[in-house]
Amino acid sequence: MKYISQILDIALRELGILCKNRIYGICMVIFPLLTVLFFTTMLDEGVPQDLPIGVVDMDNSTTSRSLVRNLDAMQNSRVVYHFASVTEARNAIQENKIYAFLYIPEGMASKLLAGRQPKLSYYYTMTCMTAGSMASKDLKTIAALGSAAVGQAVLSAKGATPRQIKSALQPVSIDAHPTVNPEANYNVYLTTALVPGIMILFMTLLSAYSLGMELKFDTGKEWLQRANGNIVVAILGKYIVHALVFLLVVFLFQYYLYGVLHFPRLGSVWNIVCLCLLQVFGSISFGIFVFGLMPSLRMSMSVCSLWSVLGFSMCGSTFPIIGMDAPLQALSWLIPLRHYFMLYQMTVFNGFPFIDAWFHLVALIAFTLMPWFVISKVKNAMLNYVYIP
Amino acid sequence: MSIFHKLKESLTDTLYIWREEMRQIIRDEGMLIFLVIVPLGYPLLYSWIYNNETVHEVPVVVVDQSHSALSRQFIHDCDASSDVQVKYYAEDLDEARSLISRQLVRGIYLIPSDFATRVLRGEQGTVSVYCDMSLMLTYKAIYQTAVVEASRLGAGLNIKKAGNFTKREDAITAQPLAVADVALFNPSGGYGSCVLPAVLILILQQTLALGIGMAAGTTRERNRNSQLIPDDNPHYRGAYRIVSGKALCYGMVAAVTGAYLTMAVPHMFSFPQLANAWDLLLMMIPYILACVFFGMTVSCLVRYRENVMLLMVFISVPLLFLTGVSWPESNIPGAWQGVSWLFPSTFGVRAFIRVNSMGATFDQILPEIRILWIQAAAYLAMACLVYRHQFRLAAKTK
Repeated sequence: MKYISQILDIALRELGILCKNRIYGICMVIFPLLTVLFFTTMLDEGVPQDLPIGVVDMDNSTTSRSLVRNLDAMQNSRVVYHFASVTEARNAIQENKIYAFLYIPEGMASKLLAGRQPKLSYYYTMTCMTAGSMASKDLKTIAALGSAAVGQAVLSAKGATPRQIKSALQPVSIDAHPTVNPEANYNVYLTTALVPGIMILFMTLLSAYSLGMELKFDTGKEWLQRANGNIVVAILGKYIVHALVFLLVVFLFQYYLYGVLHFPRLGSVWNIVCLCLLQVFGSISFGIFVFGLMPSLRMSMSVCSLWSVLGFSMCGSTFPIIGMDAPLQALSWLIPLRHYFMLYQMTVFNGFPFIDAWFHLVALIAFTLMPWFVISKVKNAMLNYVYIP
Repeated sequence: MSIFHKLKESLTDTLYIWREEMRQIIRDEGMLIFLVIVPLGYPLLYSWIYNNETVHEVPVVVVDQSHSALSRQFIHDCDASSDVQVKYYAEDLDEARSLISRQLVRGIYLIPSDFATRVLRGEQGTVSVYCDMSLMLTYKAIYQTAVVEASRLGAGLNIKKAGNFTKREDAITAQPLAVADVALFNPSGGYGSCVLPAVLILILQQTLALGIGMAAGTTRERNRNSQLIPDDNPHYRGAYRIVSGKALCYGMVAAVTGAYLTMAVPHMFSFPQLANAWDLLLMMIPYILACVFFGMTVSCLVRYRENVMLLMVFISVPLLFLTGVSWPESNIPGAWQGVSWLFPSTFGVRAFIRVNSMGATFDQILPEIRILWIQAAAYLAMACLVYRHQFRLAAKTK
């Protein structure tokens, strides 16, 4: 009972701090919600559509024009420029006007009919990978259509049925089943990793910040006094408020994703709840741990921010971990966002059983318990250190 | 007082402030970290992370229910490709799924039992590809390998059926229309070569803003009235002196780190480097100036020195998106395009990628350069205004 009243007392004190220093409200609620808004509206399209593409048509035949029309009609591409030469088209890419262009050589249609294998070329820039690969996908389809056009005409003249034509042109076909996120929606694939990453960043930074501010304004002693010198009670009281606010924000975010935007998932709601709890407790604890290691506001915050920012690359949501060198693969184990992403990906997105993701589950629990190792150092810091600006 | 005397005096003050700021960078751990150590160390780590550029040998599992020469050939071809590795064979789809669930493979190739029969009968045979969609790059590797190998297998079958006499005829049967697929500027489609140039330029802006913000926060904390001008220091007596003294200091630091970021790092990790030295210089000067004055303007918002970290660190990820390096610039919604105009990084990154990765000439990036100069001028004016306001406040409180 005594502990509970102490925890409540400290929690109320913390609530006062959160209300007084505006930066807490901004970083706990406003910035995270803004980030949610940013990513969900930015990637609302899902897959980039109508990318500007150019055409260099030296042939000017009905076949070439129909190829260009087909290209324009494709979902991801829009033909915005016709150039007289490849140099002009290349300049347009360098001027950022287009992402790709199709080059149709002179005499393509007649050579195609005469069986002299003309060459169609397309160029796309890979300096923006999303645009480049989307445009190249459409251009590839157009080239295949052009190739098939001749065979189709010959076969139908010989009296083949559409099914026969189809199997003659493409004896082996691929039937793709991209599970859960069938249209390869970028919103689903980026927002679910980057926004939690930013929330983890704020959670770790603010937990180090709030301990550091106690040092900076020399209120640490008073804080410990309220807990009767019991650091565990002091920490629990302090961070229970942080955890509640963050949990609210995180649940709101997940509700917005799955309840309002209807992001695909195969895992149950309970998996999401479990993931959120681990995310909030793991991150806050990691911040406390870093502060315990380096009991200085400036150093602990620097480390927290550098570590969390590194997480965006090391979580393996954009560039897969299996593509990195072995030491980096090992380093990724020390990144909270990596385990969050793996748990999300396995248990929420794909709906696989928790037992298959046990390693990441245990890792996040371990992050939650990490402050235990440094808790005495935190207490020592509060009692003895002096803030040096 | 003669005009020369006045000029000399303001120059001395400027240089004094410059020296003080330089000293502070070395003495203050936090500033040293963000202005020197991070710009030197972080790019190396990032380059290492993305150094392999593409994913190779993505593990897949095969469910071969056809057990035919044709199906085995397809599996061999896929395994021989650079992107996919056939790591397991499973009896059925459920077993294969459990391998995905345990993260041992990233996709399934299912070859149905009637595959060879159908193909040899002249019907269309189908290979089903199941992909874990949580990673875009592995999905692309698995799917595209299957498509390429399927069309190769099909072309081989068509050649056999055609009964041609010459190799040339075979080639035309396989591909009546030849196609050249040319990826420009980043021919291997490497992730690092695409993202890293943007990250390098962004690091410069972010670290400058962090460093400058910390310095301003420290000054504010030491001031009795929480103002941005140190009290009782005769050298800090004019807004322009402070702004130019600070700009001199941070501009010098940024010149060194900027040269390192744009020339040394890409060279060390063999990222694309097509920029003409002169064009690069003409691009970096307005960018660094814009970043320095942007940093000064942001620093005025900082109450405690640590708050700048809370402001600037998280914004890095959205800023990277606003540059158009991962989500195409043409598809960024108008409102966010407007927001992106506030940050030098947007145009700095765009100009740098075009000049450095795409070999654009200076006149091709002129629109970006113009905006960078406008930003530099605007943020300079804002920084001066804020410091003049601070002087007015200081006069009032005295």
